[in-house]
Amino acid sequence: MRILVAEDDRETGEFIRQGLDELGHNPLVVESGADALHVLSTEDFDIAILDRMLPGTDGLTIVRRIRAADIDVPVLILTALGRIQDRVDGLEAGADDYLVKPFAFSELAARVNALGRRKPMQTEATRLEHGSIVMDLLKRQVLRDGKAVLLQPREFRLLEELLREGGKVVTRTMLLERVWNYHFDPQTNIVETHISRLRSKLNEGSRPDVIETVRGIGYRMADNA
Amino acid sequence: MRSWRTSAAYRIAFANFIAFALGLALLGVVVFAVMHIDFSRQIDAMMTDEVETLTDEYRVGGQQNLADAIAEREASGSPTRMLYGVFTPDGRRILGALQANRPPLGMHDIAFVDPNEGPDTARALAVDLSPSERLVVAADREWIERIDDTVVGVFGAAFIVACLLALAGAGILGSYLQQRLRSISRSAEAIIAGDIRERMPVSARRDEFDQLAITLNRMLDRIEGLLENLRQVSSDVAHDLRTPLARLRTRLEQGVRQNEGENGVLEDAIVQVDEVLSLFAAILRISEVESGQPRRFFAAVDVSALVTDLGESYAPAVHDGGRELFWSVEPGLVAEGDRELLAQAVVNLIENAQSHTPKGTIIRLTAVLADGLLLVQVADNGPGVPNADLHRVVRRFARLESSRNTSGYGLGLNLVSAVAALHGGRLILKNAAPGLTATIELPGTRVRKLPAAESPRRDKETVH
Repeated sequence: MRILVAEDDRETGEFIRQGLDELGHNPLVVESGADALHVLSTEDFDIAILDRMLPGTDGLTIVRRIRAADIDVPVLILTALGRIQDRVDGLEAGADDYLVKPFAFSELAARVNALGRRKPMQTEATRLEHGSIVMDLLKRQVLRDGKAVLLQPREFRLLEELLREGGKVVTRTMLLERVWNYHFDPQTNIVETHISRLRSKLNEGSRPDVIETVRGIGYRMADNA
Repeated sequence: MRSWRTSAAYRIAFANFIAFALGLALLGVVVFAVMHIDFSRQIDAMMTDEVETLTDEYRVGGQQNLADAIAEREASGSPTRMLYGVFTPDGRRILGALQANRPPLGMHDIAFVDPNEGPDTARALAVDLSPSERLVVAADREWIERIDDTVVGVFGAAFIVACLLALAGAGILGSYLQQRLRSISRSAEAIIAGDIRERMPVSARRDEFDQLAITLNRMLDRIEGLLENLRQVSSDVAHDLRTPLARLRTRLEQGVRQNEGENGVLEDAIVQVDEVLSLFAAILRISEVESGQPRRFFAAVDVSALVTDLGESYAPAVHDGGRELFWSVEPGLVAEGDRELLAQAVVNLIENAQSHTPKGTIIRLTAVLADGLLLVQVADNGPGVPNADLHRVVRRFARLESSRNTSGYGLGLNLVSAVAALHGGRLILKNAAPGLTATIELPGTRVRKLPAAESPRRDKETVH
């Protein structure tokens, strides 16, 4: 994917560029708000990663300007401030996601993947499939190998998020944000507890594990599911 | 309500009353004495006049003339009438009605017999008209005694009425003083409860209570300024330290990426850096909450749904950790607030109950509305906190000796307390013996009737 990175801290910019490069993306790093605004209005990008505090035009202003100009590239805002206000401001300005610095690169990578897939998902699917798992969003029903699996609402939502990412990693933080709508990090790993219950329900009868744990990062649907 | 025994306001008012009563009594005694002495002198003067008049009568017309004058006086029946007698040297009374022994010359108190009331005393003045005739004019003391009684009666009644009025005045003064002091004390309580922006009420009278309130308010302004500085400094420090730590983390992660294979040490270093970063994040979050800024994003929060959600989310994790979490939530509870912060506060209480109790502990999460206050409570039956330490555990970086081995930096309850204060409420910690009960008390309401949510029974649970 072609990704714009607007980051004035050279070291962080290079860290992101290198990481995205290794994942096979095509990143372009700019160091000022004016440059970011310029390239966003003249070239096509799949994703824009904007630092909130940029010299000249800041990240939030860039989002507002491009949204006003009908440029609907998915935007991820990076910020050094983790204040409640900053998240509210970012989403109000029209950003799609929000990440507090410093972050693990794996977290950024997972979010970039999720944002990149957002476009074709615009037509709301009513049925999600991955290997032996079929989820019917209208009937709120999950089948494994054609057999219904009874899930609690939160387990259903977790599986839905994993299925939507189609085998890509979903981080623990993303699941907390999307399923629980919590933007803080509890000490207790409630995601893990609920995933383990979901897993044991899906795998009942010692069938192969459909959910793969990516150590220290998150979860994804297993390839052989 | 403080009893009047322990109230300085009432004590001062009553001391004032007693001083007033004593003063009034002293005044009464002096007035009485002065009047009594003055009347006695008047009587003496009247007797002297009478003796002179009668002596003149005797000189002009002899004994017969005197006898007429005495008879006329004795017949007058005036209440202030005097008693008369003329005695011979052998003690025989030859004129007048005074039934007494022949008194010596001059002014004396004598005993006589009142024809109506029997033996009595009187004041008498005796002069010799001739060697064989001694004129005695006596005044019955009953007259002056009646005046004395009247004075004492009137004055006593006035004294009682004045004392009652003064007593009522003392009561009113005492309650007024108490009320003025109590309004200052109420504001101080609100400040203690967490709202440093609260100020003492100042009335338009500008009296000494208002002067005191103004001084206290200036002191509070100063304290608030200092607190704000402190908050700013700690927030700046945490923020400024984040930048180099963020760089360090980036470098470490780059190192992990470049090093194929063994990365244990670097990965461990990242975990340590993350821990420091999350500590700073917690400090920044607390100072953000304490600054009151998040109030700008307040909206109606469905507390019932929030607490139910937390119960459902945490029960499995608590169960896996060897403890049990049960919840019971009244339906339709709503508070004006920040959903995330309230969630984080309750999460901190649950995690606190989980990390400071032995396995097998039962944790109860409840949300109810009582007296217009929304109470979200996390109660455990673990070892609790020593009473002496209850107020300490809420402080920043407070760690009890008994919890040295558990994780955390002692910021959890501090955040809960800050979040409660942000919402105009407070965190109450109580020893439930056994266990600790932590209650977040918030202003809130109930909007609609819905079935209450409770933790499912164990036998209904599908996962074991």
